[in-house]
Amino acid sequence: MDVRDKMNGIFREVFNDDTIQIKPETTANDIEGWDSFSHVTLITAIEIRFNIKFSIKEFMSFKSVGDLIRCIERKVVV
Amino acid sequence: MLFKFIQFLVFFAAVYIPYLFLNHKWQNRLLLVASCIFYAAWDWRFIFLIFVSITIDYFCGLRIDKSDNDKVRKYFLLLSIFVNLSILGFFKYFNFFIANFSRLINHLGFSIHPQMLNILLPLGISFYTFKTISYTIDVYTEKIKPTRSYRDYALFVSFFPLILAGPIMRAGDLLRQIASPRKVQLEGFYKEGCYLIFWGGFQKFFVADNLAIIANKLFNPSPPYNGIMVLLAAYAFAFQIYCDFAGYSNIARGLGKCMGFDIMVNFNLPYFATNPQDFWNRWHISLSNWLREYLYNPISFSLRRWGVWGVSIALMATFLLCGLWHGAYWNYIIWGGYWGILLISYALLRPLLAKIPNPKKAIFQKVWFFIRVIFFFHVICFGWVIFKAEGNATKAFSMLQSLFCNFHWGRGVDIKYSAMGMISFLWLLGIVEIVQYWKNDPMVVYKSNSILKVCFCILCLYLLLSCGVASEGSFIYFQF
Repeated sequence: MDVRDKMNGIFREVFNDDTIQIKPETTANDIEGWDSFSHVTLITAIEIRFNIKFSIKEFMSFKSVGDLIRCIERKVVV
Repeated sequence: MLFKFIQFLVFFAAVYIPYLFLNHKWQNRLLLVASCIFYAAWDWRFIFLIFVSITIDYFCGLRIDKSDNDKVRKYFLLLSIFVNLSILGFFKYFNFFIANFSRLINHLGFSIHPQMLNILLPLGISFYTFKTISYTIDVYTEKIKPTRSYRDYALFVSFFPLILAGPIMRAGDLLRQIASPRKVQLEGFYKEGCYLIFWGGFQKFFVADNLAIIANKLFNPSPPYNGIMVLLAAYAFAFQIYCDFAGYSNIARGLGKCMGFDIMVNFNLPYFATNPQDFWNRWHISLSNWLREYLYNPISFSLRRWGVWGVSIALMATFLLCGLWHGAYWNYIIWGGYWGILLISYALLRPLLAKIPNPKKAIFQKVWFFIRVIFFFHVICFGWVIFKAEGNATKAFSMLQSLFCNFHWGRGVDIKYSAMGMISFLWLLGIVEIVQYWKNDPMVVYKSNSILKVCFCILCLYLLLSCGVASEGSFIYFQF
């Protein structure tokens, strides 16, 4: 299972929606309920599932799912 | 204020006519000189303060970008934040903290009488400080590259339509527009700009200034307060502060449009909000974006392992500071705390609220929406009573108490007079906003047919000339 598939599962769990299909260009505007409240929950779930830690600089730079995937891939490879 | 506004329009015309004939480089130079003259006209001494902030942040931005060492980058980021917050803290909060600290010490049995500073608050300091802080943070987080042009950066901070009361535009947006050549087209920019200035002027000089007279009168009586009077006072102030600030923002956007700038929307029909989160996505949007990005996000991120508690603490801290940003008085901090509680409650109750079924028939859906708007408008109004108390939190609580304990039709003439006055100043705004919401387009009047537009302008002008307030006053948000 690649990073994107794993992420899709996390998105479906956090936003409680089995129809979610993320793409690199997906942003908060495309997913109902993805706001500043749930963003922290999402980031924490990703950190736990991938066993990684984001820095505050990385956290503040995420604009889309693509940004998240690229950052995770860098960390998982390292 | 109307006279000052006319003076300002003459100043703008004197800048705008040469602006149209200059190339991009000289346009920016002209705007920078005009911005300095504009600010100096309010108080020339504080222009130096802005340039201290500009110079420090300009060099910090360059050094952050130049260095590969994260310690050095962090050092320059902290230097920039420290200088800006020190300036803001000294001018805006020094007396507040000293007074409260000495009160606490005296309360503990010691006697101290500290010297208070007799200093003026530099106009727009909270707005331009936030703008400069966001610049260095954005450079540090590599969202933007720092500008090499000192002149462009100075114009970004001091740009005259935005310096006194925002919107707090980010460098990624405004600085980019300053650095690139701008086109001034009759259709997209000039006409739309003139409409925004006109509508903003109407909101300020007809609605806000007239409601200010009613709100000040209703907020003034000494206790015991009458619940109905308090409710009317809250309604009057709710629309006064909205039209005062949204009017200013529309004028700023209009001036920007005329010069080829695209200034962000700062208000999007805030009283149509149905929950606290929705309200802050519509009210003072540039400030809520700033607070979310530079306060709430870092705090909630650092407390992320605390789950719901982390989000709640981040929300409360953000809104207490939002209250303090508005002024160095306890009532503003309490107002911020009130919104913090509302937002935390909403975040916690949202899963339950989502289970409330929506009516199936369209008509009932509209009625249900209307009920939620009215209910939430009253929740907002409670907050405005605290906000308006200006340093007197006890008065705010007595007024709020009267809403539940002393609600009767006493002093009927005053109530009737005030209510009629409010309706006469609000009906046109109400119609325009309902149509804007219904059509989902804030420029719906501008886009309507010519006959309707001419009738609308004649009506606004008639109301402005017959009932516009020509008294000495200012925009409420200038003091923040």
